Amino acid sequence: MTSSGSDSAAPHRHRHSGVLRGVREAIPLLGGYLPVSISFGLIAIQSGFTTWEAVAISAFIYAGASQFLFVGMITAGAPLWLVVAMTLLINVRHVVYGPNLAGLLPRSRHWPWLMHGLTDQVFALALTRLPQLEARTRFSWFIGATLLAWAAWILGTAIGATAGEAVTRRWPLLGEIMPFALPALFFAMVVPRFTDRRWAFALSCTMAVALLLTLGGLSNVAIPLAAACGALCFYSVKLTYRRGGS
Amino acid sequence: MSATLWVAVLACAFGTLLMRVVPFLWMQRRLNSESGLNDLPQWLGILGPLMIAAVLGVSLMPVHPSPASWLATLLGLVATLLVWRRTRSLGLPVAAGVATFGAVVVGGQWLFG
Repeated sequence: MTSSGSDSAAPHRHRHSGVLRGVREAIPLLGGYLPVSISFGLIAIQSGFTTWEAVAISAFIYAGASQFLFVGMITAGAPLWLVVAMTLLINVRHVVYGPNLAGLLPRSRHWPWLMHGLTDQVFALALTRLPQLEARTRFSWFIGATLLAWAAWILGTAIGATAGEAVTRRWPLLGEIMPFALPALFFAMVVPRFTDRRWAFALSCTMAVALLLTLGGLSNVAIPLAAACGALCFYSVKLTYRRGGS
Repeated sequence: MSATLWVAVLACAFGTLLMRVVPFLWMQRRLNSESGLNDLPQWLGILGPLMIAAVLGVSLMPVHPSPASWLATLLGLVATLLVWRRTRSLGLPVAAGVATFGAVVVGGQWLFG
């Protein structure tokens, strides 16, 4: 009896510990999520949206850059079809995230709603961490990590919408220092991939192009364009090797 | 918010969700299926790490760009790298990076106003 009871409890234990592990490992994301979502809440209120509307936009669209664009274009009086088209265009990069994770995650009927949590940051974290986890804990890890990130984004928006001005006045450095958690996290994810000169060249090129595009005010297209440049660098090194070898 | 604006919010939300979930399910069905793929296409496997590098490049931009914040970014990354080399983990390097970045920003403001 005892043995069978503990056997039946084992999957629940794995699920529980997987969720907690996902939550724990997604905590560094909050350093970036909270200040940005607080800013979004504040800007949405200043643009004439109510607190509930700002929270609903964060909960349903849940894609940082496109939310700022959505609110900005609505405020500027752009036609709604153009607002929707531009918002979706910015989010097109998400198309390549899912296929990269498909082989790492088990099949489940819950994916249609769980994939709502697949942001840039969650993708980066999942692609780095999932291969290092046991297959049976990956699903629950993904739930823990995505739910924490989503909840933090919604909470940050609510704080920004209700008390954004007071928060930024009281802790002016909070919004400047905490966002560094994101580059620090991504840096710790990218460094192990500098395995040879070819990858080092492609990754460095990608980072440089993304930074330059952001400096030039093109942050909305920086991620897909920089990744495409990085892929070109990756394949050009391969071609150079082949030509040199033949 | 008017009804048409709500429709726009829901259209953006639904479109974004489709872009996240459909390629995932499509690839999951193709992988290891009899008529499909046995492994992830090479170009997709390469694009994944490059997307992370691109997100890193975008996030390197300081909130308030200045010589001090760029120096803080550089030193924060060095601290992250040093702690990562010792621990090979994610949490501690991030904490060290943020602490270093914050110390340089606060120190810079204290020294130069």
